[in-house]
Amino acid sequence: MLFNKANKQNIKTEAGEPISLPPSGFKLVLKELLKDKFAIFSILVLVLILLFTFLGSAFVSKESLDTNILDGLMPAFSSGHFLGTDEGGKDILSLLIVGGRNSIVIGISVTAISIILGLVIGLISGYFGGVVDDIFMRIIDFIMVLPRFMIIIILTTIISNYNAFTLILLISLFSWTSSARYFRSFVLAQREREYVMASKASGSSNVAIMFREVLPNISSMIIIDVVLGIAGNIGIETGLSFLGYGLPASTPSLGTLIGYANDPVNIMSRPWVWLPAVVMLLIISYMINYVGTVFQRAADARQRR
Amino acid sequence: MSLIQIKDLKIHYPIRSGFFNRVTDHVRAVDGINFEIEEGETYGLIGESGSGKSTTGKAIVGLEDATSGQIIYKGHDITKASERRKLKYNRDVQMIFQDSMSSLNPKKRIFDIIAEPIRNFESLSKEEEKKRVQELLDIVGMPSDALYKYPHEFSGGQRQRIGVARAVATKPKLIIADEPVSALDLSVQAQVLNFMKKIQKEYNISYLFISHDLGVVRHMCENLAIMHRGRLVEVGTREDIYHNPQHIYTKRLLAAIPKIDPKNREEHKAHRQAVEKEFLENQDKWYKNGRVYPLQQIGKSHFVALPQDKLEGGR
Ligand SMILES: Nc1ncnc2c1ncn2[C@@H]1O[C@H](COP(=O)(O)OP(=O)(O)OP(=O)(O)O)[C@@H](O)[C@H]1O
Ligand SMILES: [Mg+2]
Repeated sequence: MLFNKANKQNIKTEAGEPISLPPSGFKLVLKELLKDKFAIFSILVLVLILLFTFLGSAFVSKESLDTNILDGLMPAFSSGHFLGTDEGGKDILSLLIVGGRNSIVIGISVTAISIILGLVIGLISGYFGGVVDDIFMRIIDFIMVLPRFMIIIILTTIISNYNAFTLILLISLFSWTSSARYFRSFVLAQREREYVMASKASGSSNVAIMFREVLPNISSMIIIDVVLGIAGNIGIETGLSFLGYGLPASTPSLGTLIGYANDPVNIMSRPWVWLPAVVMLLIISYMINYVGTVFQRAADARQRR
Repeated sequence: MSLIQIKDLKIHYPIRSGFFNRVTDHVRAVDGINFEIEEGETYGLIGESGSGKSTTGKAIVGLEDATSGQIIYKGHDITKASERRKLKYNRDVQMIFQDSMSSLNPKKRIFDIIAEPIRNFESLSKEEEKKRVQELLDIVGMPSDALYKYPHEFSGGQRQRIGVARAVATKPKLIIADEPVSALDLSVQAQVLNFMKKIQKEYNISYLFISHDLGVVRHMCENLAIMHRGRLVEVGTREDIYHNPQHIYTKRLLAAIPKIDPKNREEHKAHRQAVEKEFLENQDKWYKNGRVYPLQQIGKSHFVALPQDKLEGGR
């Protein structure tokens, strides 16, 4: 297998030029991952969940998400409604599929925004150091001590046309800070290495050095932060929606489904309404986190060498 | 006129401490030094660890800001970044770094590493660029299949040769060689030094050769400056420094050169100990409150940092 070979393997390209592989984070990380049975299992399950929610959404009919009082409160395993319906007659299975997809999309979007923002600011702050670093770090410290849940909840009630997009921006507003700090610490270490100085002496601009020289050297940290970030941000969205301050009621998510458990009748006698969403959330969070820690372990092992 | 002149160069680093992180003191890494390098020569800058050699070298390449003083190249003071940009200064002045591993980006292929200065300072076609990089690898005795490999696939000596190839890529006039061989085995040291000499002849390059070991630079440098505590303690030709050393610090560095001479081993040891004793016990004679004295001329090309009254007695 490709990953079991030593670092120094040479592959011939079509032109006949021998090429070597970089001392890549990816390869070593994958090697570590493939050694771990549970990590492989986790990835398989996550892929299945992605297929289930994203492909499944294509087959969910519009009517099944519409209110239809006559079909309300049907129990699980009824004909046509595998997980029954809620008070309004919405099909729970369809809600689970669409809601799962929405939660995942929000988690990924928030992560994408906060990683990009965190990366740019972490790079600038760590690379330039000095006053620039001081200013960014004070701003980040300030944002981090703010009570983020309270502020998001207040803003959701103030903003008038509130939707998934504004929710993504609101969560991102707070979650880029930890990414920025995380990346900054690695950039600080890279900045001391002489290849940065060699690049400067070679006439490269600071921007070129930051993105072309330093960035590839923290790539495995980026993968780790992306993976762990997605799990964390799905959790935040779900929490907010559960409390009723996340997505509007018309947009299902894992959080709104779990929110059915707020009803004392639902929680005891109708578990099929909320339990599948809870299970799906737990599996997603736990397994993404597990894969993330395997990545982290691989990256740490690489640094020790 | 000389190629480059360093005039009263000082580089002080602030030490911050206390609750408000205020500047409370300074590290005087470089504290007022003067020297000139001629075209095509190898100038030695020698001193122990922490004496300020790398800091001096980096300031000359423009990687470190001068606190005060001037560095004159082609009549321009290049301590200002704007002057350096205007002159395309780093096309002419390059550096070979102390640590060959850390100075090559582990994520870049050798081709991209060596081509970086070429891409920034010259406009060559892809074809010409590749040809040039191949030539450079050839000059430092590396096979051309090194082009598409990564730094970790090479030995220390090979990596340092790659560093040499990058430094000469733009055909510079001056290369600061910061302890280019101190991390290498003796046999590999000679090999890298020979490539450096060969390149010097071919392109008429000047070197500022930084080292902590007077033994290594013996056959490299025509002129030398001995550095201690951010200042120069002795300056002279190879003849002056090796055969007529005046300052105790120079004598100490000379005594530290390992000698392959089993017959007189005891004698060498006794000499080394005598010099060390003098250095440790008579600090007040050689330094003024721990600070190096200003340089005095004592020969045509020979300068030493001692006060006037001690010069006579010392000879
Ligand atoms: N960025 C910095 N901030 C504060 N002090 C520094 C900095 N860089 C160097 N120094 C200090 O300046 C002094 C000279 O350092 P320098 O690296 O020039 O020594 P060197 O002669 O090259 O030693 P070596 O042989 O170990 O490389 C040292 O005391 C060092 O601690
Ligand atoms: Mg040094």
